[in-house]
Amino acid sequence: MPSVTADDLSALMSRVAVGDREALRQLYQATSSKLFGVCLRILSDKDESEDVLQDVYVTIWRRADRFDPARASVMTWMSTIARNRAIDRLRARGPLARAEQIDDMEIADGAPSATALLESAEAIGALQRCLAELDDRTEKAIRTAFFEGVTYEALAQRLDAPLGTVKSWIRRGLMKLKGCLEP
Amino acid sequence: MSDLGPEMNEPEALAAEHALGVLTAPERAAAERRMVAEPAFAQAVDAWRRRLAVLAAEVTEVQPSNEVWARIERALPVNDNIPQLARRLIFWRGATVGAMGLAAASLMVAVYLGNRPPVVLPAPATATAPLLNASLNTEGGQPLFVASYDPARQALIITSLAPPGTDPLHVHQIWLIPAEDGVPRSLGMVEPGTAKTLPLDASISQLAHAGTQIAVSVEPPGGSPKAGPSGPVAAIGALGEI
Repeated sequence: MPSVTADDLSALMSRVAVGDREALRQLYQATSSKLFGVCLRILSDKDESEDVLQDVYVTIWRRADRFDPARASVMTWMSTIARNRAIDRLRARGPLARAEQIDDMEIADGAPSATALLESAEAIGALQRCLAELDDRTEKAIRTAFFEGVTYEALAQRLDAPLGTVKSWIRRGLMKLKGCLEP
Repeated sequence: MSDLGPEMNEPEALAAEHALGVLTAPERAAAERRMVAEPAFAQAVDAWRRRLAVLAAEVTEVQPSNEVWARIERALPVNDNIPQLARRLIFWRGATVGAMGLAAASLMVAVYLGNRPPVVLPAPATATAPLLNASLNTEGGQPLFVASYDPARQALIITSLAPPGTDPLHVHQIWLIPAEDGVPRSLGMVEPGTAKTLPLDASISQLAHAGTQIAVSVEPPGGSPKAGPSGPVAAIGALGEI
């Protein structure tokens, strides 16, 4: 399909907000493989990820009127919903559910997909560069938290480090990240 | 480690942690409430969500099965958007959309209203929006009422677990307390030992979501003489997907 711009997505979202199902279908066509990728990355299970994906688009349909273009791009808003729903699902599996050991975590999923609709290539490049400036342990901790929704307590257990230490790593890491992204 | 750099100030750190998702469930709920109360804090969370959302861009795209869209279509609530048009119009007027977008939205509404028969269809039996449930417990943790909000019917179904005929000198009044403003809205009464379906106005049903509290207060016959509860709260609980 032709490439979709952020403006196209905003236009679709304003139609979804007034109950236009065709607009939701087009939004789904343009974005579902990205959001499905996010769910799969978190849950590592196809069936569960499809359940969550369904839930995500029904949520988008219901809450489209609450989307505020001044606060976030359409993709940021939708991928936040997808990530939160997938993490809720992951947490619902119970305390024994841990996707991967942090030591086995891959640092990245290869090259970022060339899709222009999620975030600009420039923003992706900047974040990767800034993450690479952190020490490995902090970078892994931030990625694990993002993709698995693990709490500080769980992170501390996995890293076998005191809670306060882990908290400090993450806080300082995020602070450095912000300084690097917005010098 | 000497090159760790400075720590963030507390609200900024909390905003980042909330966006990253490392907080426990109660801490998350507190952060959500703070976002409602403090626009500056909400802006900080939004900014962190934008920064971190770029991480999701690294994820490889994967095509879901073809039947997922069909499942989504079946699950869409019928007419969900029509009764709320007025509200949405207000939103689109206030939102920072360009003049073109606004014109397009208005035109679309006109077309919609023109094409729609003035009949609101009942929700089909296949509507699968999840129910939100709450156990309303006493201060001692004893469940006294069970409530379910059905988004498809926009109604709260409440069941009193109190023995029938309990305290005939008082009534049990049900309140919905949104996290957004904490102001109780009366939904009606329920007799001890009975169940009741309470249809909610569109303005109230939009406040019924996970985290919204449902409370029951003990009131004189006829209900609270005030806008809010006048008697003690017998039981309280928050809606959530179970």
